[in-house]
Amino acid sequence: MPLRRRETLAAVLASPAILRTLPAEAQPATPVRGGTLIYLEQQTYTQLYPPAGGFYPNGGVLNQITDKLTYQNPRTLEIEPWIAESWTTNADRTEYVFKLRPGVTFSDGTKCDAEAVAKNFDNFGLGNRDLRYPVSEVISNYQRSEVVDPLTVRFVFSRPAPGFLQGTSVIGSGLVSLKTLSTPFDQLGDATKIIGSGPYVVQRQTLGRELVLTARTDYAWGPKLHPHQGRALLDGIRFVVTGEDSVRIGALLAGQAHVIRQIQAYDEKQVKDRGFQLFAPSTRGVNNSVVFRPDNPLVAELAVRRALLHATNAQEIVDTLFSANYPKATSIIASTAQGYINLAEKLTFDPALSAKLFDDAGWTMGPGGVRQKDGKQLVLTAYESPPQPRNKDTLQLVAQQWAKVGVRLNVLAGDLGSRTLDSLDPARTPVAPAMVGRADPDVIRSQYHPLTRNVLLQAGGVATKVQNFADARLNALLDGIASEPDGEKRMALVADVQRYVIDQAYTIPIFEEPQVFAASPRLRGMGFEAVGRPSFYGAWLAAR
Amino acid sequence: MGRYLAQRVGQALLVLAATFTLAFLLLQALPGDAVLIKFLELGLTPEQLADIRIAYGADAPLWQQYLHAMGAFLTGNFGYSIRAGVPVTQLLAENLPSTLLLSALAFAAASLLALVLALLATLGGQGWVRALVRSVPSLFIAIPVFWLGIMLIQVFSFQLGWISIISPEPWEELILPVATIAVPISAPLAQVLIRNIDAVLAEPFVTVARAKGASHAWVLRWHVARNALLPVLTMAGVLFGELLGGAVVTEAVFGLNGLGGLTQQAVANQDVAVLQAIVVISAAAFVAINLLVDLLYPVLDPRLARGRRTA
Amino acid sequence: MSGAALPLRAGWPRLQPGLLLACAVLALVLAWAIAPGLFTARNPVQGIPGAQLLPPSWAHPLGTDGLGRDQFARVVYGARESLAGAFVAVAVGLVLGTGLGVLAGARSGWVDAVVMRLVDTLLAIPGLLLSLSIIILLGFGSIKAAVAVGIVAVAQFARLSRAEVLRVRASDYVEAAYGSGGRFGAVLWRHVLPNSLTSVLALAALQFGSAILALSTLGFLGYGAPPPTPEWGLLIAEGRDFLARAWWLTTAPGLVVVLVVLSAERISRAIGGART
Repeated sequence: MPLRRRETLAAVLASPAILRTLPAEAQPATPVRGGTLIYLEQQTYTQLYPPAGGFYPNGGVLNQITDKLTYQNPRTLEIEPWIAESWTTNADRTEYVFKLRPGVTFSDGTKCDAEAVAKNFDNFGLGNRDLRYPVSEVISNYQRSEVVDPLTVRFVFSRPAPGFLQGTSVIGSGLVSLKTLSTPFDQLGDATKIIGSGPYVVQRQTLGRELVLTARTDYAWGPKLHPHQGRALLDGIRFVVTGEDSVRIGALLAGQAHVIRQIQAYDEKQVKDRGFQLFAPSTRGVNNSVVFRPDNPLVAELAVRRALLHATNAQEIVDTLFSANYPKATSIIASTAQGYINLAEKLTFDPALSAKLFDDAGWTMGPGGVRQKDGKQLVLTAYESPPQPRNKDTLQLVAQQWAKVGVRLNVLAGDLGSRTLDSLDPARTPVAPAMVGRADPDVIRSQYHPLTRNVLLQAGGVATKVQNFADARLNALLDGIASEPDGEKRMALVADVQRYVIDQAYTIPIFEEPQVFAASPRLRGMGFEAVGRPSFYGAWLAAR
Repeated sequence: MGRYLAQRVGQALLVLAATFTLAFLLLQALPGDAVLIKFLELGLTPEQLADIRIAYGADAPLWQQYLHAMGAFLTGNFGYSIRAGVPVTQLLAENLPSTLLLSALAFAAASLLALVLALLATLGGQGWVRALVRSVPSLFIAIPVFWLGIMLIQVFSFQLGWISIISPEPWEELILPVATIAVPISAPLAQVLIRNIDAVLAEPFVTVARAKGASHAWVLRWHVARNALLPVLTMAGVLFGELLGGAVVTEAVFGLNGLGGLTQQAVANQDVAVLQAIVVISAAAFVAINLLVDLLYPVLDPRLARGRRTA
Repeated sequence: MSGAALPLRAGWPRLQPGLLLACAVLALVLAWAIAPGLFTARNPVQGIPGAQLLPPSWAHPLGTDGLGRDQFARVVYGARESLAGAFVAVAVGLVLGTGLGVLAGARSGWVDAVVMRLVDTLLAIPGLLLSLSIIILLGFGSIKAAVAVGIVAVAQFARLSRAEVLRVRASDYVEAAYGSGGRFGAVLWRHVLPNSLTSVLALAALQFGSAILALSTLGFLGYGAPPPTPEWGLLIAEGRDFLARAWWLTTAPGLVVVLVVLSAERISRAIGGART
């Protein structure tokens, strides 16, 4: 009996499965209202205070329940009106004035007026010590707000803040009610505490498993130029956390879900072959990369970092593990990001050059094929980062490539606790995988600056184990990006930083990371904000 | 009897207190801390992190935290989950009932499955059928639980389309998870049952009863069942721990809401308060079930009524 | 698995086809562990770029994984890691557990009470939670995971060996050995231990299988051996993500684990003599 079952199982799994031919992308019929969308998420949301909502599972929820002052058109990247009908700014970008749309309310009935908006940005821009709110990484040099009249608010900055306008359009600047802004930070992992003005409202949640949103029937303030207006078409959205890759894709293909996030490159073909939709919006941010922590003496030397950069074959990684949706990186930021310059000629795979750099720097091949200098072996360590696509495999390939030039990279799979601690200690993790998505050049600053994400682990940040590494030149460039009011000069600085980081070989860019979604052929009108977070405002489900 | 009862209850309480202490020490010794895990990525300053630690009382000396936690537990206050940002009692209220239901159904299903296997193996059909059925429990033990669950989903939900696992009807939600847990749990039960039925069938009084013309069914009901089912009761206590282990894996595979999934997330995020509460609750259940089994045993088996004491 | 807590009767194995087959399976995987190079010429760690996720063929009997590594080579080389892990787990459980059990059984009185309450405490903490915590405490690695699995098994070994010691102690010949002036330690060593050994060994064989399963479960939850070590649990766990595309990747190592655990269980029953 057990044997027979095993055979059936194998036979069923081996068969090309139930092939259903579906009408491929029929003409966009008249949108239908109603229905509940089932969305399978890989991970649960963790923290929904908007400025801390960058993590994709958080952003996927926040984007449905909060509105922003402005809307960044995901195709043109232009900033368009949303809750703000219009805005003005002074020449040196130290003052912004927003005129708000009348009649906007939060889902608890309170008004989303100048006072509420001012309070939101006071918290975002300055943080809140009592409630333990961090300062938003998208807002720099914030000083104060002024309520001019009930529908006009002015923001004042201590230094030029050219990135602020775009900063008002991102997930991290989602507007929430005053009630939410009186809740301590550590309680905002609870979605029911997030009261926004968005097209959907949190109905119920089971922490870590499920979240149900319902459409707000009185919603009438979508982005002004959005093709859809009025209330959302769907009645609701059910987010189900489904960690197993095989269950997510299986459930979608079996018709049990409408859209899933994070599908692996090797499953893309079968999704398309079976008539399902595949979306791979770019995250337009810092590329998926391997970064060094130069505080660690092994990678403090420029020659070592440069040698490793040229020992890395990003093309092989992309070909082996990914698909056309994951373009090979040609800079530290994506080619779709603002201010991108092509640095491909500095990022060549050249094992001979790599070997020469090592030899010249005195790192000679030692026993076991591992290079050494002054009795020290070139053995490095990195933790895999599970949220990044196929990161374990990526690092294993990098390790294989580095092994060929005489460097050992140990890839660790640690528990979150040890990983978090060790990732702050350059002595333990001289190498780390990194990426971040955001459609503004400020993203480079937030990734590299010691007071924000600090991927290089410079002294002065949260990482207290750092001895003395700091790069004043880099930080000056980064601060410049955050405060240069002149658009052209700012882009020149962005180009400088890209060149500088690559010349210093602080980072080995691997690929431009997309967010990959697969959806049922029935789902229409699914949108994405500028860095690939889904928007279901205009989405609807066609009849079977 | 009264003294025996008092002694057993006393032992049970002692074990519970020891479990609390051991778990507390173990959890405190874990490297890393939940505050850092949760808040590091979010760009808080070191001062803000320190503030959060103070808010959770995580800065007090260890012995103070221990006494505080012990006192709080005795009054039913399980503290605050750092990961989820809600009180632990809320998490338990949301997760405990579904796991209890899952475990109870799984244990019932496992017992039923074991009984069917045992009867087939001892009394059913041809010799070769019995021999074949006797090897089934071994196979059941040998299958990794998570693998079984994934395969069941692939076959019954995705390929055959019989059961929806994303939006199930209430009646179908637990079918596959129960099967996943019940299969490995049924195996030791079936093995014990088979051995006991064999032994009972070989005993003189059964032979005599048969010689006197008693029917198969009668023999089964009056002698075999009674003598063979007692060990199943004992096993219930031992298998309890495995039910939770099975729930962790099964809930992870099926994306179910429950104590198992909660455990997994709490371990990953070192959510110490949640883990402490889970340990204490499952230890209390374990101790209570074993106590009950110990106390019931003499009642059900008069031969052991005098002076029995479990190892 | 807790088939373990069964009372196992002493006796010697009788050769049967099933038992022979079980021994053959274990001998084969042992050979894999000792000399994997004899069974496959492929590299289990280094993949062939461009050859990822190939279906089974003559060149790759079990296909290739997501990095283009030969899955059969990974299964063969994985035997070393997995069997070593299981051995360590059983050794930890056996040594600590039997030590505690014999101590409790031999000493009785308050020592017995203290040791057995400690054992109860270990049993009361859910096994999986205990092993996960120990792994976090010790750090990741296949041997550390094995130690964690072993510690969970301590309680079972302790209970069984204590019961065995008590049984043997109560028997006539041990009474006689005491009567003829034997010293406690000597009696324990010469009479009690050898007579308790069969059941403990049977449990050890059974635990060997359970340990392989427990290690694979840890791999599934993400607490197993770090990559690129080819360990069976890791192979099953990694392969499951490819289920929609390459079902054989998780199925093949899964079947190997089932066979090995089945064999260990069969041998355990033979040692215990309690055939069903």
